[in-house]
Amino acid sequence: MDSIVVSNLRQRPLRSAISILGVALGVALVMIFTGLAHGMSEDLQKRSSNVSAEIIFTRPGSMGITSSSANLSTKYVELLQKVEGVESATPVIRYFYSSGPWGVDQVDGVEWDSFSKMNNIQLIQGRAPAAPDEIVIDETKAARNHPVGSTLKVFGPGLYRVAGIYAPESGARAKMSLKALQDLLEAPDKCTFIYVKVKNPSDQVAVARRIDQAYPGNKVQPTRDLFASVETSIPGLSVFLRVLVGLAAIVSALVVMLAMHTTITERTREIGILKAMGASRIYIISEIEREALLISFLGLVAGFILAVLAGFGIHKATGLIFHFGAWWALTAALIGLLGGAVGAFYPAARAANLDPVTALSYE
Amino acid sequence: MATILKADNLEKVYRVGKVDVPALRGVSLAVQEGEFVGIMGPSGCGKSTMLHLLGGLLTPTKGRIVIDGEDLTAASDAKRTDIRRRKIGFVFQRFNLFPTLTAEGNLRLAERIHGNGADDPDRRREVLRMLRLQDKMHHKPLELSGGEQQRVALARAVVNRPAIVLADEPTGNLDSENSEIVLKMFRELNDRFNQTIIMITHNPEAAAACQRIIQMRDGHIV
Repeated sequence: MDSIVVSNLRQRPLRSAISILGVALGVALVMIFTGLAHGMSEDLQKRSSNVSAEIIFTRPGSMGITSSSANLSTKYVELLQKVEGVESATPVIRYFYSSGPWGVDQVDGVEWDSFSKMNNIQLIQGRAPAAPDEIVIDETKAARNHPVGSTLKVFGPGLYRVAGIYAPESGARAKMSLKALQDLLEAPDKCTFIYVKVKNPSDQVAVARRIDQAYPGNKVQPTRDLFASVETSIPGLSVFLRVLVGLAAIVSALVVMLAMHTTITERTREIGILKAMGASRIYIISEIEREALLISFLGLVAGFILAVLAGFGIHKATGLIFHFGAWWALTAALIGLLGGAVGAFYPAARAANLDPVTALSYE
Repeated sequence: MATILKADNLEKVYRVGKVDVPALRGVSLAVQEGEFVGIMGPSGCGKSTMLHLLGGLLTPTKGRIVIDGEDLTAASDAKRTDIRRRKIGFVFQRFNLFPTLTAEGNLRLAERIHGNGADDPDRRREVLRMLRLQDKMHHKPLELSGGEQQRVALARAVVNRPAIVLADEPTGNLDSENSEIVLKMFRELNDRFNQTIIMITHNPEAAAACQRIIQMRDGHIV
């Protein structure tokens, strides 16, 4: 092996491994966070796209990204059905609850017949929820070892029995009867929102305007706007992701800088020899940069592998969905490589400017 | 024979704290092409300083050095590095091989630094044969004896056909048997390739291998 770059890495395997791991962690962090944000966003959009209702009628502030309240009277269902252009209306309670240490989950309370008819949802196994402790779940949730007849914990102390499995997936993965959820929340005759289906979808704007005029003070929203990308609907998420990417870049650069700084201190004498042999400043800088780039590249590969393994493990353990996009993978790659190159530049420039006689006499 | 190295009135003063310490006090020297010159003198007389000046590793406080027609003292730092790369080969007392590279890797590194398509396997084989290192090419320095390491260092210094080889006590770390082998190699290089060599030594036996001896004392040639 006559490559000084490769042989230097092999000569100090532990330090090389730690440096590679440092870069890998930065890259994996970017991939995992962005993969999670994209995965969850796409999952939410996919589930939302299966809602056939064109309009959501709710109270202002009653529904957020991770919270909701049941403060809308179900009396509006009848009133909305009387509005010109409305085909049907069905009430829903969306309830967010803490799901262990991993965050929040949600359950919908629905009037199954009207809800499933409006949104073309079929029960592919079992039957609709009838008893207060019965739920129906979608295929994704069922695939996590929850067949019909099994019990699972949703919220509260009790267990719920899976009465049926429905498709396609839509809204919360678990649904119970509206009445059961109203009783549990002590919110009789209340719901979170009402799905409104119009007779002619091209009239939805006019219908929404009529609803707004008839019942002012409430919130009338097209479903297509409500279920926009999570990244745009959660304030600050894109800023958070960018800050994270920046931090990962800084971590990568610092790890490589520290590694190369230590390497160069140890190899001061060798740099003196290179200078005595006539190596130019550019040659010395390029050798050190090549070593840093090799560390970064290996860190990059390790980071991708780490991210995929972590994503798989987290998905298995929690059901969270990851989607590793090509754009963010490219960003992570650039961060790893540029961070390494930038981090190595100062030690490289310092080495290139060493006095050759002083370097040769370094012990 | 043409003059390959000429040094005029070289002075070098080191600044140590607030004190000026003169190391060379007006040294003039001319070396002809193909000469094997030894520099002797007590420790601290300025031998190493002179070698570093001649190799462009240091700049003189005063005076002029011309190597193979190129003025080293008038050159910028980058130009001096370039002259060193093209015209000078160094051999050190402590061998100074790259420990992570094999013997061949050390030679190829010198070729890469030299550039200009300097990868010349014929030249490399010729040098290695002459230094009897053919079967040591894939050994790393720590797998070689001191004499073998110094021969690799010598091979590295001459592989790019430098105008001058500057050797700083090349036998200083070797036992007498290995010293004799290395000195024999220096003589052979000088005889067969007409290689110009300037060698610092304390060893009278090593000095005996040289065609001309320069004695130094207190920063002067005596």
